[in-house]
Amino acid sequence: MTRKWSRIAKAEYQVSTVSFRENRTRNITILYALGLIWALFLAPYIIGIMADFIIPIEILQIILINMLPGFMRAAMFFIWILILIIPLSRSLQEIKIGQWEIFLSNNVSTRDILIGTFIGRIPLYGLLVLFITPPFLVLFFLAFEVALLGQILTYLTLFLMILTTIWLANLITAAIQAKLGESSRGKDIANGVAILLAIVSIVPIYGIMFFSQHFSVILGLNVFLLFPFTWPADVISWITIHSSQIGFSVEQILAFQQILNFDLLFSTALMSIFTIAVVGIGLASADRIFTYNIGARTEQVTTITREHFVIRGIRKLAPGSFGSLVVTCFKDFFRRASNISKIAYGIILAVVLPFIMSQIMINIGDVGGFDMMALIMVGGIGMAMIGGYTFSGTAFMESKDQLWIIQSTPSGTARYVKARLVSAFIIAIPLGFIPALVMTLLSGGTLDRFLFLVAYGYVIIAGAIMFGTGVTAWNPYYEDTKSPEHQMNVIITTMGAQFTLFAPILITMFGDMAGLPFWNMIHDAVGATGMPYAFALISMISLLIVGSLALVIGVKRLSRPEI
Amino acid sequence: MNNGVTIQTQKLSKTFGHVHAVRNLTLEVHQGTRFGFLGPNGAGKTTTVRILSGLMQQSSGTARVCGLPLDSKRNKIKAVTGLLPETPGLYSKLSAVEFLEFIGALNDRNGDSLHNRIDRLLALLGLESRQDDLLESYSSGMKQKVLIASTLLHEPELVFLDEPTARLDPSASVIVKELIEILAQATGTTFFICTHQTSFAEDVCDQIGIINEGQLVASGSVQDLISATKVKNLEEAYLQIVGGKVDREALLTWR
Repeated sequence: MTRKWSRIAKAEYQVSTVSFRENRTRNITILYALGLIWALFLAPYIIGIMADFIIPIEILQIILINMLPGFMRAAMFFIWILILIIPLSRSLQEIKIGQWEIFLSNNVSTRDILIGTFIGRIPLYGLLVLFITPPFLVLFFLAFEVALLGQILTYLTLFLMILTTIWLANLITAAIQAKLGESSRGKDIANGVAILLAIVSIVPIYGIMFFSQHFSVILGLNVFLLFPFTWPADVISWITIHSSQIGFSVEQILAFQQILNFDLLFSTALMSIFTIAVVGIGLASADRIFTYNIGARTEQVTTITREHFVIRGIRKLAPGSFGSLVVTCFKDFFRRASNISKIAYGIILAVVLPFIMSQIMINIGDVGGFDMMALIMVGGIGMAMIGGYTFSGTAFMESKDQLWIIQSTPSGTARYVKARLVSAFIIAIPLGFIPALVMTLLSGGTLDRFLFLVAYGYVIIAGAIMFGTGVTAWNPYYEDTKSPEHQMNVIITTMGAQFTLFAPILITMFGDMAGLPFWNMIHDAVGATGMPYAFALISMISLLIVGSLALVIGVKRLSRPEI
Repeated sequence: MNNGVTIQTQKLSKTFGHVHAVRNLTLEVHQGTRFGFLGPNGAGKTTTVRILSGLMQQSSGTARVCGLPLDSKRNKIKAVTGLLPETPGLYSKLSAVEFLEFIGALNDRNGDSLHNRIDRLLALLGLESRQDDLLESYSSGMKQKVLIASTLLHEPELVFLDEPTARLDPSASVIVKELIEILAQATGTTFFICTHQTSFAEDVCDQIGIINEGQLVASGSVQDLISATKVKNLEEAYLQIVGGKVDREALLTWR
């Protein structure tokens, strides 16, 4: 009898390699052969030439030998985050338990599902390791003159680490899905959690980008030896050192030992124990974690209570039918956990960004930190991100039928979009304050600077909201945040809004280089101290104009009858 | 002026690429009629409704709805018509009352008169005890009831119902049937009902149109169709017109 997990693995393999379905086995074999050639021969050759062109390999060798332990730990941490949290976050955004129900109704155990799904994806993960990781490792192989066997062992260690992490991610995801997928409220919470997880992942990524130096030092601390990503990192470092053809002296090996703390054997043992434990726990708990087949599910019913003072205030201010529409949009926005997470996400981004920028300025020698121009630029980026990310089409519509209902009312689409816009403007009022406060404190600013940043920030958020709403009306989507349309809308909105903000500055600068006296004209008109404020004003006006245009075009497109 | 004719179409057609969803549909539906629009899946029923309610542009042909030309008066048509779409497009994070208030506001209605109407409709459809619960916890039948209420909320002259009883239990279906009959008789409301359920159409509708592969293949009163096809009921008439007699022997050949 065929084992059930192997049938699931085969189906999963077929799904993950659907692009090569014409001649799957031949194509995958060719890809593996190409991957091996790329990882072991082509990548070292190409990257070697490129590196030599920039820095002579002898100088690079000294730098890389010093960097190895810290870099490996940072890189493994990055991979860990990438594999563990991002797929977790994405799968939480789209909880679909229907497929599981089909499996379970056919008397398949959850353990079989878990193993089958995981094994079916292994071939694809192997390819990813072969094609993606060489650029990160090859420089070290070159610097350490790592033998071919050492390179192969390194890739195998990396592959094992990635498989363990993916297994862990699958296990956690399945457990959370099983619990939260049981009710629509649970799905909503899962959505919210997914976005919060993205915050957890994005902050370290920013950290690695901007603080890699300090980060490596921090990761060198002994406390990080407790984290599972450190062990494979150290194993790779040791393999690189031991299979090096440079011929390290005993003193040099001892120096590495001092940095890495544990030797190759101990790090390998820790990594292996962790792998076995994770796989074992997964297999043992699979049928216990999931409660599908135990009994009837529970459905939580949420009953609304009396409207709170903000909604009553809106009703008083706008007692007509438009006020009712605004109130509805307001309620719909705040009842989705994902929106609350998005606000948190936007604020964290906007707070983190000035910190990073101030760190960069300190790094490049500007100990004073921000000047007004930098504040306007950094603030603009942050605020456009808050407005664009938080409001660009969040739960714009749940289905195409919802659009039909709205369109079937007289001028319904335009009124609906206007109501959404007004509700977003109201929600955005407090959002301008927090980043403005952080920027003011970081720049050692005064009350008038704070008030200016609040006003500037709010106008930028409002402009980004208009732009984002227009983009979403032009390209509406009817699924949750995982849909490609939603992701496209967020990218267009945030990038478009940020570009619009800086377009006047860029035009002025390039105009100046081309001999057009824009810069001087503004300088003559407002003076040196007035320049940042003049640019802020121009940026705000340009974003409001572009946002209004996007809105008009979007609403027109959404309102027209389908052709 | 509509001279008692609520819907009048002339060679109405709709194509999607090379697919002809509706072909040369010429139709008249009089005021106060309960018109049943029958046809197999993919016959063009929903497309016709979407065109007539102003949501979709026809490829060719003309139409007047409630005396208003379709091409130039879409907004006015929307103001005097109501639409129940095929699948429920509700806001899961609103309660039934809030959703109906939203639909009322889209139709420029609010205040006590709207809320009284919402309360009465929800009570009529047996939803008053759950009216403040979020719609995400409603069954599909309950959602359908909320949508029916939303369609009638602004007292439209013409109501398009796309599969109104598909998700309803028998007692709720009876309420909807009665509601349609009473509204048609008492207020002169015209109903344009797309359905697969021939028994429902036979009970409720006084005029029937059968569409197949985009073309209107038969129309008339229920009795006219039964007499013309010399069968016992509308279901048999429908099967004879559209085809679809079941070969019982073939049903087990897959085993």
